[in-house]
Amino acid sequence: MTAETSEVTYVPDRENTWRFVPKHFAIFLVLMSVWELANRMGLADPLMFPRPTRIAEGMLQIFFLKATVWEHLAATFAKAMGGFIIGTAIGMGLAIGAALHTGFRDYLKPYIILVEAMPRIAVGPIFVGWLGFGYGSAIALAALVCFFGPFVNTMTGLMQIDEESEELFRSCRASKKQIFFKLMVPNAMPLISAGLKLAAAGAFAGALVAEFIQADVGLGVMMRRYVITLNMDYAFSTLLSITVFAFVLFRSIEIMNYRIIYWHSEELMQRKSKRRASEFAGIINKQVSGTGGQ
Amino acid sequence: MTTTSLEPENTVNKRYVKALRSSVKHIVTFALIIGLWEILGQNGQLNKYILPWPSLIWAQLVDLFFISGIIYYHFYTTLAEATIGFFIGITIGISLAVSAAFSPVFRRYIAPYAVIFSVTPGIAVTPMIIAWFGFGWSSKIALAALVCFFPPFVNTLTALTRTDEDGSDLFRSMGASKRDYFWKLQFPNAIPMIVAGLKLALTGALLGTIVAEFVSATAGVGILMQRFAFKLQIDGSFATLLTMSAMGLMLFTIMEILDYRVVFWKRDSRLLSVSRKRAAKWRRDHGNIPM
Amino acid sequence: MSDSLQEAGEAVSKPSATNSDVVIEANALTKAFSEEVVALQGASFKINEGDFISLVGPSGCGKSTLLRLVAGLIEKTSGSVKVRENEVTEPRTDIGMMFQKPVLLEWRTAVENVLLPSELTGKITDEDRSRAIQALHLVGLKDFEFHFPRQLSGGMQQRVALARLLQTGADILLLDEPFGALDEFTRERLNIELMNIVDGTATTSLFVTHNIAEAIFLADEVMVMTPRPGKLARIVEVPFERPRSLELQLTPEFNKIESEVRNILGSYV
Repeated sequence: MTAETSEVTYVPDRENTWRFVPKHFAIFLVLMSVWELANRMGLADPLMFPRPTRIAEGMLQIFFLKATVWEHLAATFAKAMGGFIIGTAIGMGLAIGAALHTGFRDYLKPYIILVEAMPRIAVGPIFVGWLGFGYGSAIALAALVCFFGPFVNTMTGLMQIDEESEELFRSCRASKKQIFFKLMVPNAMPLISAGLKLAAAGAFAGALVAEFIQADVGLGVMMRRYVITLNMDYAFSTLLSITVFAFVLFRSIEIMNYRIIYWHSEELMQRKSKRRASEFAGIINKQVSGTGGQ
Repeated sequence: MTTTSLEPENTVNKRYVKALRSSVKHIVTFALIIGLWEILGQNGQLNKYILPWPSLIWAQLVDLFFISGIIYYHFYTTLAEATIGFFIGITIGISLAVSAAFSPVFRRYIAPYAVIFSVTPGIAVTPMIIAWFGFGWSSKIALAALVCFFPPFVNTLTALTRTDEDGSDLFRSMGASKRDYFWKLQFPNAIPMIVAGLKLALTGALLGTIVAEFVSATAGVGILMQRFAFKLQIDGSFATLLTMSAMGLMLFTIMEILDYRVVFWKRDSRLLSVSRKRAAKWRRDHGNIPM
Repeated sequence: MSDSLQEAGEAVSKPSATNSDVVIEANALTKAFSEEVVALQGASFKINEGDFISLVGPSGCGKSTLLRLVAGLIEKTSGSVKVRENEVTEPRTDIGMMFQKPVLLEWRTAVENVLLPSELTGKITDEDRSRAIQALHLVGLKDFEFHFPRQLSGGMQQRVALARLLQTGADILLLDEPFGALDEFTRERLNIELMNIVDGTATTSLFVTHNIAEAIFLADEVMVMTPRPGKLARIVEVPFERPRSLELQLTPEFNKIESEVRNILGSYV
């Protein structure tokens, strides 16, 4: 249940990645050509492993010509988002309670261990049974799958206050509320936002699985239909759109996190410093002229 | 002034009583929740097609395990699929990570694909895996491996490429070979993170297997649970869910024990017993330690 | 400061000062964390206004515990501790603390960190802001007012903490090894700056350290503590004139006091 185990992200060396873009592109082209050729020469089953040109054509179709993907994309996004908000609210709410109240934490612990060990996505069929094929079951599953990351990270974050900081606040006669909002919350922010990122991944996966099990609209349904009818080229196109969508989602969360935790970025700190300095300009000027006059 | 320490037994007793009291509290709370749930059910406040009460779930569990005994077949199927998938997945993940750690060129060229992998939910490919590998075991194993390969990959790569300037300087100053550096410093240093990756991978493998079973399968706890749910036999679903949780808990515990024993140097409670063992071994091999 | 010190029932008392000058007074002050762990046992002392007192001793001798009892951060087990004739039951506004770590909020600029005490006790006024800027200038951080802690060196971070301590307006300073984590050179510099700031004011300081020379150099009197259980062993007077310079540490008189303190500790360590 530690932060280290719950944070899995791949951070490539960005500068290098951009410098090598042409080479990357060349390798990608070679890979695609081999695949295409293997397909055309009958080395790979075109039905099961459709050739890249067909997949590209499929992308074009579902995004622009038939434009079928948008409806499903919107549905999955809405489900994941709904689940994300509900799950995060529950997870963080429980975490705040557990962090502030030792008794509550003790009582919660055994259930949390059980929920952690349980494959939470497995509750999917029960939710589908209860709530039907629509949005309800997918949102519920997404919420259940995603609540854990924010829970663990928020609780760990709020509890990692070092003794001296708390003593400093208490020696200034700070209230409990002040300690919570001015010390514990900002101090926990890096971990909380890492938890939110995990939650986004969980919510998206939860929504997709609910759609695989049974649903009427969504990327999961779309993909499943294509696979069942053996339209593998379109299935691949759907998978690609899932990747693109997930990528956009994660990048936006990363950018958000970067801005929230501005004190981890030299660039943002410098910008903030300047803004603060201009807010204090009057006071500093007064002092300079005051000492100069003496 | 009462500063002299009390009898040791007394303190031990006190600690024991305290632990006992807290576990009694937990058990009572749990019993109260279950009791309330049962009473509500018996009084007809709950719909058994929505939230079956404990005695119904218990009856299903008894049936699954002792009367019909059908759970065993499904249990072992899922367990085997997940375990095999886990081993395939971590082998691929760790070997890719080790090669990437040693070859900057390789690392650079797999980077974009790693990004794609890290953002795409592995389970999104489930329908395709089923189409490629069929309804049987192989598709579950493939999905389990696919879902679980990433955490060990990232953790191993991160841990191995973490630079430890001082450690590397020390080893070079002692004239160590690259191989010694890897096996005696780099790798042991990476173990805690690798094990953390393996823990995540095991959860992933079980998850992948169950999701694949939901989509299409002939055996396994996932399909069993889905059958119950679609027949609106929710008590059966709950019983299966509990079984799955037990399976998860079991695998989870195995990993915890592995973590505890392998990464002994991070566990204060393990240090003493390991150092005793090492001392005994030293005496056996090299005789008594001169005073 | 005059000390009436009791040790295991045997009273070592000197003629005591008039009560009006006494700022901190402890009587048989004891703190036990459990029946086995007694952090501080029966400490009695008086500290006069404007005095600089060092608390020296090996780790585990109850220095920090004593400091936190005076600060009202932890509750005593028995005995009494009074500040300005009132029993300490909770943190007071006339007491300010500084720790070994700078304890800065890393999401706030230096000046916002300095303003924290004002913010916690009410709304920040322009006067507070102006005092905060002055405090930062006083500790030598001109042009660094709007840097974030991460952009400052360890010594500068500790200077911000010192400015924050001044901002509290407290006239009793409790310093828990404030420069202990810094390198020797920075520590000496900051010690002298601290001395210059409090010298000649009515500020009373209680300074915890495990460095004997530092303890003597800074203080009017050194309280020597011994561990297991934590006890106040003796109070050693330091008669040197102020202002003091670093060369003082090379004089035979200084060495005599240093070996005296070492001898008291030597029998326990």
